[in-house]
Amino acid sequence: MPRRTPPPLLAALVAAALPGALPAQTVDDGVVLPARFGYAMVAYGVDRWDRYWEGTRLRDNANIGTLTTRTVGLGFGYGLTDRLTLVASLPYVRTEASDGVLQGQRGMQDLTVAVKLRALQGRTAGGTAFQALLTAGAAAPTTDYTPDFLPMSIGLASRRAMLRAAVRAEGRAGWFADAGAGHTWRSTVTLDRPAYFTDDRLVLSDEVAMPDVVDWSATAGWQARGLRVPVTLAGQRTLGGGDIRRQDMPFVSNRMDFTRVQAQAAYQIPGVALDAFVGGSRVLAGRNVGRSSQLFAGVVGVFRL
Amino acid sequence: MSSVSDRRPLAAAAVALLVLIGGCDRSVQPTETLPPLQAASLDADAGAWRMFVLAAPEQVAVAAPAATTSDAYRAELAAVKAAQAAMTRAQRANVEYWSGGGVLRWNQVMRELVARYNLPPAPRPDGSYPVPDAENPFADPNFPFASPPYAARAYSYVSVAQYEALKATWHWKFRYNRAAPAKVDAGVQALAPVGDLPAYPSEDAVLAGATAEMLKLLFPGSVEEITRRAAEEREAALLSGRATASDVAAGLALGRSVAALVIARARADGMGAAGGTAALWQGMATAATARGEVAWLSQETPARPPMLPNFGAVQAWTMTAAQLATLDPPAPPSTSSARMAEDLAEVKRVTSNLTREQLAVALKWNDGAGTYTPPGHWNDIAAEYVRDARMSEVRAARVFAALNMAMHDAAVACWAIKFRHYNPRPVQLDPTIKTSIGLPNFPAYPSGHSTFSAAASTVLGAYFPSAAGEFAAQAEEAGISRLYGGIHYRADIENGKAHGLRIGAAVVQAVR
Repeated sequence: MPRRTPPPLLAALVAAALPGALPAQTVDDGVVLPARFGYAMVAYGVDRWDRYWEGTRLRDNANIGTLTTRTVGLGFGYGLTDRLTLVASLPYVRTEASDGVLQGQRGMQDLTVAVKLRALQGRTAGGTAFQALLTAGAAAPTTDYTPDFLPMSIGLASRRAMLRAAVRAEGRAGWFADAGAGHTWRSTVTLDRPAYFTDDRLVLSDEVAMPDVVDWSATAGWQARGLRVPVTLAGQRTLGGGDIRRQDMPFVSNRMDFTRVQAQAAYQIPGVALDAFVGGSRVLAGRNVGRSSQLFAGVVGVFRL
Repeated sequence: MSSVSDRRPLAAAAVALLVLIGGCDRSVQPTETLPPLQAASLDADAGAWRMFVLAAPEQVAVAAPAATTSDAYRAELAAVKAAQAAMTRAQRANVEYWSGGGVLRWNQVMRELVARYNLPPAPRPDGSYPVPDAENPFADPNFPFASPPYAARAYSYVSVAQYEALKATWHWKFRYNRAAPAKVDAGVQALAPVGDLPAYPSEDAVLAGATAEMLKLLFPGSVEEITRRAAEEREAALLSGRATASDVAAGLALGRSVAALVIARARADGMGAAGGTAALWQGMATAATARGEVAWLSQETPARPPMLPNFGAVQAWTMTAAQLATLDPPAPPSTSSARMAEDLAEVKRVTSNLTREQLAVALKWNDGAGTYTPPGHWNDIAAEYVRDARMSEVRAARVFAALNMAMHDAAVACWAIKFRHYNPRPVQLDPTIKTSIGLPNFPAYPSGHSTFSAAASTVLGAYFPSAAGEFAAQAEEAGISRLYGGIHYRADIENGKAHGLRIGAAVVQAVR
């Protein structure tokens, strides 16, 4: 049954607001807020890679060196009802290459808005709480940044619609686990040039069809005395798109796949309705993406209207 | 909580999502649409137009065809009817594809081949760069690296071969005057426009033969695709009711023979030595230093040999080297001059305060690695005008030949000057300058984009006078895009443009 207190440790929400250098623009699996409770989050992340997958070939590039993506993520959530929560996120992204001549890019990236529904909840005889969440969301660029200057571009600039389903379990002993999967539909993006070559084909158009994306995640963690430590394995598969060719630049509709592991620790600061969190992630395997390592930290404040 | 109040927002969200998905563009038209070509004129005199490689339109002989009343020809007509009756859906689509015009279709194919092969070699672990090998085109790196000079030359050779072959074709067509099968026999369907143009030899087969031979030489790694497309074009000629087997056979033979003559020129035009040697470009650097100038250095890591330093010695189409040299721009501002300091400061100022509109212009004209190159961009621009003018194949070939000869000659002249002066790029003189497009790996002065584009716009303006202003504006934009991108000084752009205008005007005179 819904509690009339702030939900604990909303910091589990943070990952989604920090796309970093990866095109992981999904909505989180997070928690559902009680009605009229809200949260506001700010987080900072630094993502770096010095090797990337050119297709399936892992390589370095002395004309890029290390690519650093710094992100300031803003996130908001609000419980419309006890079962339905509205969430939104908006990152500011800045890219920079340590070597070579390419100019770093910066700007507000994409606004994501989603509603999360707790579709089911229950409790086993042993006291384990279950719930199932359904999320529907949409995202769109907030600025006219170019997606045609990868890897310096701050995003891929497509409008997107997302559906996700997730289940979570929380035991009395302090353990918890999540599993979720989602599908993202993407609009075409428009380039500033009249033709491009990708996936072994010259397209005589400024419009680029963007293949759909599926993603999945599995989390296990432990929480006690205001501390919460989730560890997540997550992945993305792009359902189409071409590989980066040998010694070519990346392209917006490339088949960008990755599997990454993420760990974080969140702490509920006693006496204030504020959580602080730190974490990191590492891409384990990928295709047409950087082998990123990311560190992030932030705070989440909970309020009641 | 009431479940009704829960469901309403979710339902609204679901509806919004569906609207969003449904309302989004999800697919893309991948190519220029080419309606079936109904040529606006027959161009019956095209056999007398000026030749560039052939000595005369009769240099390659075409035997007289059988009369339309002969048994042999009747058998061919029966074969066309039988083939039309047994057409598959794929064959029908193929007829429709080629009905858009062979010159325009091959131009699209050629742009795709250039983009496919326009990738610089990746460095080896020891920091050296492998050289693409024509004898081993599938190795890493693929052969060729279809860089802008390589592409300019490739577009020109294919276009010239097509143009020469089609002028000869027109000559023989009007010599023998054998009508198309769909005109001779009402039982043969016209599945593509069949006009009054004589069918023997088939212009479609000539184009297939000439183009495939040229492309196989230039893009040996794509022989399979090139051969398949050429066979499809010949099949389309027959199935469309435009040509019989003997029209196609005579056309194929003529096209291949003309290509062989053009290939003989290509093998002797100096391209084989365009890559130069380390001694050559080190000598260029030493000479620049001896003149008191800062010599160009590759800004890539590891340092990459400059792109085709001896391309300036390749044979031009419309002028001798001496004639071409009379059009050269002056020397660039000295690297120690006040003008250079001003130009460098301008690059720094512009790139540091780049607007989104300027970035869009830089990206529009980037035409860097992996693209069809600046000459390909101008072919792209030309294609729509050629299509809309409903030009006969030979007239369309003339526009592309003139355009691509101009860009080849511009590339030769521009490269000669680039490597004569060996002038550094802005980021070499001021490493705090950052570019928003890839930095070309060859000396700066003058801007190749500006030279190509000014030459191309001049030629297109001569063939499409009502759009001359538009072409000039595009060329202007192409030039200034290099300042916005942070890779050229204003002096490179202005002098490149003036040079390109002179070359374009000379080519227009030569082709007329």
